[in-house]
Amino acid sequence: MPPYIRRSLIALSIDDPKLAEKAFDSWADAIVLDIVKQAAQDWQQTLKAQMPLAIAAASRGGAEVFVRLNAQTAYAELDATVFAGLAGVVLVGVADAAELVLASAKLDALELERGILQGSLEIDLEINTAQGVWNSLEIARASSRIGTLTINEQALYQNLDIPFETTLEVEPIEFIKGQIITVATSVNGQAQGMSYPLCITQKEVDETTLKKAILRARDTGFKGALCAQPSWVKLCNEGFRPSADEVEYYKEVRQVFAEGLKRGLASVPLNGKMIDVPVDLRAEVYLEWADRVALRDQQKIQAHQQQAISLQSLN
Amino acid sequence: MTHRVARCTMFVTPTNPRFIDKAWTRGGDVYILDIEDSIPLAEKARCRGLIRESIAKANKGGASIYVRINKPFVDADLPCSVWPGVDRIMLPKTDTAAEMQYAHDLITELEKEHGVPVGYIELSPMIETALGVVNIYEILSATPRKIWSMGGGTGYDMAVNLGIEMFVDFDQYAYTSSYVALAAMSLGIESSGGVFVHNPTGRVDQREDAIKEAEILHAAGVRQITALHPNFIEPLCTGLAPTQAEMTWAQTVLDTYQGLLLAGESMTEVNGQVVDCYEYARAVKTLEWGRACAEKDQFKAKALARAQAAV
Repeated sequence: MPPYIRRSLIALSIDDPKLAEKAFDSWADAIVLDIVKQAAQDWQQTLKAQMPLAIAAASRGGAEVFVRLNAQTAYAELDATVFAGLAGVVLVGVADAAELVLASAKLDALELERGILQGSLEIDLEINTAQGVWNSLEIARASSRIGTLTINEQALYQNLDIPFETTLEVEPIEFIKGQIITVATSVNGQAQGMSYPLCITQKEVDETTLKKAILRARDTGFKGALCAQPSWVKLCNEGFRPSADEVEYYKEVRQVFAEGLKRGLASVPLNGKMIDVPVDLRAEVYLEWADRVALRDQQKIQAHQQQAISLQSLN
Repeated sequence: MTHRVARCTMFVTPTNPRFIDKAWTRGGDVYILDIEDSIPLAEKARCRGLIRESIAKANKGGASIYVRINKPFVDADLPCSVWPGVDRIMLPKTDTAAEMQYAHDLITELEKEHGVPVGYIELSPMIETALGVVNIYEILSATPRKIWSMGGGTGYDMAVNLGIEMFVDFDQYAYTSSYVALAAMSLGIESSGGVFVHNPTGRVDQREDAIKEAEILHAAGVRQITALHPNFIEPLCTGLAPTQAEMTWAQTVLDTYQGLLLAGESMTEVNGQVVDCYEYARAVKTLEWGRACAEKDQFKAKALARAQAAV
């Protein structure tokens, strides 16, 4: 069961004048806010004033809101970006556990200072170097705040000096993806990502190609993806979840297995497949996952309806 | 040492007479008496009580016997599982070194109580979660108890833990199974399984699938795998043993290389193929494995004949 229903994420700049509109119309499960550093000396003060409004604007459609910070400078920037309504921070390029421990301690202080539930702010990791991959387990174990792990494929390819070749039969970093998925799962988190080659091309593609890519990402172990194109959101929301056919199948699995148990059997056949405890458990997990996705969709629909009512009353 | 040949290991349900009473006639190298996933919770106590007599039933055809216990019921399962005739205890969903240490200590006590040479029974962790994968080296190093072989990082439980749908057309376990195998082999433990075999239907009973699987495993040098249906036993036992041609070639390499050494040379060609120290080492292993398989087959044939005569 994925710990989070976070099938689609889109990145938006807090300086984007259409931030609220884009976030609302996206139907993404989560919005990742990017900050832009300015030359002016007081840019952090400006950011501090801007962030609460940006968080509110981004969350109007029912999305969770995160802010993306560079790990090396995050400690200083957290003060200007963490406010009520934020679900967590995405730290880019964490190279070792010590950086994470520092950031986590800063979040402890900010939660206390700003009336945010203690321990509620999540830290997500965006890995973009070989060092980050190598230390990923140690990093992921460094804080109980860890939620998701993502690979920034474009940056990692550059770091590893892998050419941006998009027609290979085997994905160059397939093994690394497996490692990150395993590490994330081992700390009760989840990994987010898209399958090759869309993870590096990030192109607008036809629906069939995108569906296939999302299915492969899901079957690899990813639970959602940062959508490079707004058009990806809808299909990610539909793809990173159990399909209608799977729900039907797993209902049958549970029924057949329950009947077997009544006969004293914990292993029963279904169309040539063996249904036993782990298969039944998987069915249970998938059905629960489907229920939680439905609930999440309902929350977003309600947020949109609420927004529409608010606008009507203003008019 | 015939118990080290485990080309096809198959789960058997001690509570089901249809399975346990016929197991000895099926020809498997190993039967795993299962107290875990094939036994409903309400039947586990009865199953524990049947393990000792099931050992004698299942090994009549010369098979080795393993017992798969339940992770949450180690204290209840092990006293009913450690008996003469059992070669290995399988510890499912092992996540930490502490779990291995605990089971090892308990098995040691039970070996003393039940007349089994201390340290004889292997303890094999089953790696079925991401946590088990990342902790694999510590798990395998946790006790002095010998582990001959193990696999892991794949299967239904792993799929549940990773939240993935199985039976797709690519290897979802490339990282987990390789990482587990690498850790095992770095500690001198033979790795079983770990090779992707495309099975989009998820069926586990088709003989032709077993033949295909055996070919792929054989090509990858894998010598053992677990089966879920008796239709898999013969194709796997045959397919994972060296062929006659492989044995003949290995003997040729052995003889040629020994001749080279006597002549003070280190490399030559036979029928266009290089013979050197690497090929020699491979040939030695092939011959050893072929002889072990033949010994196991002979052992099983004699046991089967005795059992049939007794019937």
